[in-house]
Amino acid sequence: MREKKKYRIISFHTTTEAIAMEKKCGKMHIPGRLIPTPREISASCGLAWRMTEEEYMAYEEIINQLELEYDQSVCLMLLRWI
Amino acid sequence: MIQVNAMGDACPIPVVKTMKVLNEIKGAGEVEVLIDNEIAVQNLTKMANQRNCKVRSEKLGEGQYRVIITVEGKIQESDSTESIGEQTCIPDARKNIVVVISSEQMGQGDGELGKILMKGFIYALTQQDSLPSTILFYNSGARLTCEDAPTLEDLKSLEAQGVEILTCGTCLNHYGLTEKLLVGSVTNMYVITEKMTHADLIVKP
Repeated sequence: MREKKKYRIISFHTTTEAIAMEKKCGKMHIPGRLIPTPREISASCGLAWRMTEEEYMAYEEIINQLELEYDQSVCLMLLRWI
Repeated sequence: MIQVNAMGDACPIPVVKTMKVLNEIKGAGEVEVLIDNEIAVQNLTKMANQRNCKVRSEKLGEGQYRVIITVEGKIQESDSTESIGEQTCIPDARKNIVVVISSEQMGQGDGELGKILMKGFIYALTQQDSLPSTILFYNSGARLTCEDAPTLEDLKSLEAQGVEILTCGTCLNHYGLTEKLLVGSVTNMYVITEKMTHADLIVKP
């Protein structure tokens, strides 16, 4: 099934930070995935972290304590497959 | 949910049948359309998007697809079913796009970055309006359709949308992955060559 869903997109200043995010989230079992930064966001790095808005709400506090510098954190409607 | 059976119907019949039902719906409702080809899936999706309806689709089996269109209250007024049928059928003439993945990395340089880029490329494919008809995987690209690949979820989604996923059997064998293929099917050099020579456009990241 293909449909549009609301996602939280967190962008970074550097690719290194985006990759660090993927590694930290993997270790800490934080849901989400690395995607190419959507066109709607102007960001200095081409990779962004994507998670559903529900997941973001549940993990917001932990994400803010990851000692990573985020660029933007925005909501976007993206295609998803279920 | 109202069901429209358009199995065996040639374009634009599935769209025309569905539009008739949509025009009859007063207020909110769901319409399930059964079709036998991926082009009909794409045409129905496009038509539903044009009318601001929510649309989902899935592959039920070989030559079996379904599209579910959700009408939320006000439906966009449309032209006659015939003219829209013709409009939405235009993508039938779309190019036969074949994506060729010859490596698990995108580009040359840093290996870790190459893998991340390839994962990103395959994700970005899922977000395109116009999907390729086939994706070919060979050499280390074959790893991407097998167990533990970070690209599995996206490839399964593409397959569900009607994209043919083919992995080189010689390559699977060479890498010891024959038993680990998890998406699409195994192919050989003749099919790989045929798909490439018959393509209107080859995309090679």
